Amino acid sequence: MSKHDYSPGGRVAVWLYGIAIGLALFSGFGQMPLYNRYYLTSVPGLGWSGNFIALSELHYFAAALFMGLVAWRLALDTRAGGTWSWGPRSWWGWSLIALLVLSGGAKALRNAGVFLPPLALMLLDFVHLGSAMAFMFSGLVSLFRPRKKQYLRGGLA
Amino acid sequence: MAKDISRRNFLRGGLAAAAGVAASPIILPTAAQAASGRELCTLLDLSKCIGCEECVSACREQWQPTVPDPVSPMPRPFPAKVPVQDWSGRKDVSDRLTPYNFLYVEHLDVPHKGQEIELHVPRRCMHCLNPPCADLCPFGAGRVENNGVVHIDPEVCLGGAKCKTVCPWKIPQRQSGVGIYLDIMPELAGNGVMFKCHRCLPLVEKGQQPRCVEVCPEQVQSIGPREQILAQAEALARAKATEDGASPDKWQDYVYGLTENGGTTTIYVSPMPFAAVAAAIEQNHAASAQPGRGRAARAKQGGRKKKRGFGGRPPMGPVEDVMAKADNLSLALVLAPVAGLAAGFTRLFGKKFKADDGDSKGEAA
Repeated sequence: MSKHDYSPGGRVAVWLYGIAIGLALFSGFGQMPLYNRYYLTSVPGLGWSGNFIALSELHYFAAALFMGLVAWRLALDTRAGGTWSWGPRSWWGWSLIALLVLSGGAKALRNAGVFLPPLALMLLDFVHLGSAMAFMFSGLVSLFRPRKKQYLRGGLA
Repeated sequence: MAKDISRRNFLRGGLAAAAGVAASPIILPTAAQAASGRELCTLLDLSKCIGCEECVSACREQWQPTVPDPVSPMPRPFPAKVPVQDWSGRKDVSDRLTPYNFLYVEHLDVPHKGQEIELHVPRRCMHCLNPPCADLCPFGAGRVENNGVVHIDPEVCLGGAKCKTVCPWKIPQRQSGVGIYLDIMPELAGNGVMFKCHRCLPLVEKGQQPRCVEVCPEQVQSIGPREQILAQAEALARAKATEDGASPDKWQDYVYGLTENGGTTTIYVSPMPFAAVAAAIEQNHAASAQPGRGRAARAKQGGRKKKRGFGGRPPMGPVEDVMAKADNLSLALVLAPVAGLAAGFTRLFGKKFKADDGDSKGEAA
């Protein structure tokens, strides 16, 4: 076991982190009108996924959970340091999270009625979508790449 | 007029202040735009409208040429259930909203106090204060300008019709076979471009009036800063309520667009309560629905197709604020990381884990 492989909160935190990411990705990609077109809404139990308002609210919930966990880890990091068994392990991951939070936060401002210049908003939309896709693929690569046995303990897998 | 201190206003102010502190000169709260008089609003005095449709003609003359014709043959979207919507052969339709017709007039006989009162209601986009069509557009094609205009950029829109789905009045209308989706994956994603009233944005930006306002022979519409228009609307509605034999305090019953969907920049004032107008519109639409044709008719007949829109003829009933829950959830986005940081710095839950090898750092956390 690596001396750097910490798991704050144990399995609960790992699962919450994974659930937050999964829900955020599902509800985020569902903002594009594709689930109804490609019959996902016809899958029993997923009829609600065609409701854009419900998906938007789910995205807010997932984002809040995600940001709460990441903030908690960041604060613990300043006290303990080290590399942890969940969450990003590199500057790349942290950069993507920063982009996601900033662009998503700006979108939330707009949704609360704050005026943002339309072109800036469009740029933020594409930054949010692009960084989410990069985060998803990076996470999948990280999750399934061959690695030493100890890193599987307490991770997302 | 009493101002509500709603959660939205609170959030708007707080978040806007935070944005200001972040020293971003390009971000201004909507409220500040209104206060500065830059956010424009229209007022429609329905008692003046004679139903001549000069506004419709002027709108069509000005903007119909800007809506392109579709390519031929039009791509067949996959899967086959995705509808191709082509209005290019029906550009003459002017009694409903279409991609080639941004404004129509609803001609009504409104039963009121034992009489049938003739009323004509110009209908177009309401230009909401916090429009879900623009807020929830995934590609930024739906836009809100600082003058209050809500519009769709035809160069960016892929025609997914999400804006129409989330619009309480189902205003945007799709034309398939046009737009940028043709250059991406026309069969697999996108389906055209959504079109709707942009309140003559290119003209307004030059300091001119919207065409429907300009050409009206009866001066049904007026346009100005929102606060000014709201004051005019209230005064007019109080007068209408009094003329109708109601208490002036009931003036809000004679106004539409003030609170609908959280507030709009299109305010109607009617000589009778809008409940009666809404009922007449509903009756009008039911009477004009042709049996055996259209999605609405099939739904009425118990067919499998569900009613998704209003056939380009929006109702005028009460409308709840679509984005209200997003306001509440914005608070969670602020509180969650703050709670996370507080828990982390106080080592809440942090003592329950430790490094397997007993590393001192892990135990400390």
